[in-house]
Amino acid sequence: MFKLKDIHKAYTLGPMEVEILKGVDMDVKKGELLAILGSSGCGKSTLMNIIGFLDQPTSGRYVFDGKPAEGLTDNELSGIRNRKIGFVFQQFHLLPKLTALENVCLPLLYRGVPAGERAERGREVLSKVDMIDREHHRPGELSGGQQQRVAIARALCGSPSLILADEPTGALDTATGNEIMDIFLSLNDNEGVTIVVITHDPGLAIRCKRSVRMQDGKVVGQ
Amino acid sequence: MILGENVRESIRSLWGAKQRSLLALIGIVIGIGSVIAMVTVGQIVENEAIRQFKEMGTDICIVRLSGITSGQKQNKSLNLDDIMAVPEHCSTIRVVAPYVSTYSTLTFAGVRKSCPALGVTEEFRNMFKVPLVAGRFISDLDRHANFCVLGSSKAEWLAEQGVNEPVGEKIVFGERMYTVIGVARAVPSGTFSPYEINEGIMLPISTVLRSPERPALSVFGARMIGHGVSVHASEQLQNYFNYTSKQKTRITSAEELVAQMDRQMRMFTLLLGAIGSISLIVGGVGVMNVMLVSVSERRGEIGIRRAVGAEQNDIQLQFLVESVILSFVGGIIGLGVGIGATAIICHFSGWEFFVSKIAAILGVGVSAAVGVFFGYYPARQAARMSPIDALRSA
Ligand SMILES: Nc1ncnc2c1ncn2[C@@H]1O[C@H](COP(=O)(O)OP(=O)(O)OP(=O)(O)O)[C@@H](O)[C@H]1O
Ligand SMILES: [Mg+2]
Repeated sequence: MFKLKDIHKAYTLGPMEVEILKGVDMDVKKGELLAILGSSGCGKSTLMNIIGFLDQPTSGRYVFDGKPAEGLTDNELSGIRNRKIGFVFQQFHLLPKLTALENVCLPLLYRGVPAGERAERGREVLSKVDMIDREHHRPGELSGGQQQRVAIARALCGSPSLILADEPTGALDTATGNEIMDIFLSLNDNEGVTIVVITHDPGLAIRCKRSVRMQDGKVVGQ
Repeated sequence: MILGENVRESIRSLWGAKQRSLLALIGIVIGIGSVIAMVTVGQIVENEAIRQFKEMGTDICIVRLSGITSGQKQNKSLNLDDIMAVPEHCSTIRVVAPYVSTYSTLTFAGVRKSCPALGVTEEFRNMFKVPLVAGRFISDLDRHANFCVLGSSKAEWLAEQGVNEPVGEKIVFGERMYTVIGVARAVPSGTFSPYEINEGIMLPISTVLRSPERPALSVFGARMIGHGVSVHASEQLQNYFNYTSKQKTRITSAEELVAQMDRQMRMFTLLLGAIGSISLIVGGVGVMNVMLVSVSERRGEIGIRRAVGAEQNDIQLQFLVESVILSFVGGIIGLGVGIGATAIICHFSGWEFFVSKIAAILGVGVSAAVGVFFGYYPARQAARMSPIDALRSA
């Protein structure tokens, strides 16, 4: 699916240059369900943003779907995010003014899919996460767990080849978190979607096919 | 497709920030409203100024003895018979209406009032479109008769003296007694109509020319055979009066005057429009301000949209649509406000009210343009935001 080779990421804060990622190597195959563990501040989110084409590494080689990710234009990056990647965030990141269904359809909107088709596909994925009865609710009218289900539906809606979840259970209680994790597991099992989950919770990581640990800007345990 | 979606979302987001949208809206409403009102008032004033010419016909002209000032009027004058013979000798002139002005004291029942008077011929009424309220006008058969027609303000003055039906009454003007034979209604005052029509009295021209003041005949109105002949007419008249009395004449045609007035009025309207535009710019800056706040408030939203694949153009369009809707709605309301304000102005100044199509199209078009112009920078900022930075503030 994608390959990272010696990825570095540094931020310049005033006169100081802080290196967050210090040479990350990673190889994720199609159909994998990978958990990334690591203490807070070790650079997990930074890495995920790079994998998801939201951010660029300072140096290193990133190959996605067999193609190198360097020198892409902003529109090409947007296109990849739109078609190939689905994000799930810790804070859900749904648009509060849109209904659940409208939120879910957002990736298709930017793909130019007509409204009717959009809604049809949106309902399809909402049923997958058992949220079809809440399609007209706004995020503010949903519980955290329900919002995360909607967010997962949104990530799924554009049929991406990779789903990136940054602490998807971080804002949820254990039981709800487990339910969310169940969804990921079944998506991976039944539909073969490649998923990368960042988590603090070793209990959740154990349920994944593979897990890696990050420490101090590097991947330590494959 | 995405545009329709954008329109819906823009309305939703503007509605969501009602207070702020309303403030920006007020700015635009005032801006567009004042542009519309200013431009329309300008056009109405222009229309008003030109209306009297339209009524009199633009084929008329005023012929004056040149080099005459009021101080030396005794020295030079035209001969009445020469003037009356103009249509016979100048092919471009159809009819003439000579007039001569004088000044004296009007006395009625012992009350005195200074009053200008105009000696006129029968044709004068037709040429300057003098409507009558009562009685009849001076006729060419009234030669040397002591008849007079009251201008509107003198009729009012007589009414103040208790005379409501002045026709048949006797008044004293200067040393002589005159019988009132008619009362004229007020005509729109302007450069072409002698002001005495409203302010003074009108007498047979032969009577005035024989009066002891011996006023000089130096001007006459003439109606030409059509449009576009004023240069030719001017030449013919020069030659004619040079031949008859070695006098030089100057011609002012309504046609030229209207054209000149049109130019001046257009400048005037432009000036008013420019004044209105200043408030429009202020309104536009208000829109920009609201949009900038909206952009910075919605960084998170922008980040989320970028994460699911929105291109810079999509984001830019979204904010642009929002600012255009905002100023467009403001423009529509402003149009109504501007038209309303114009109607009120016209009501109180007695002008003929009309809605200028140009102003309406201008107002709506300009408001949309304001939306694009002042929305462009904020929209560009939103689009240029780095996705990851935007997302971090979500
Ligand atoms: N834009 C930025 N500018 C400067 N430093 C940053 C920026 N973004 C992140 N960092 C720093 O990079 C480090 C890693 O951040 P990151 O969010 O990747 O950690 P994380 O592993 O996801 O932590 P957590 O588990 O708490 O989410 C942190 O020390 C953070 O302060
Ligand atoms: Mg993180």
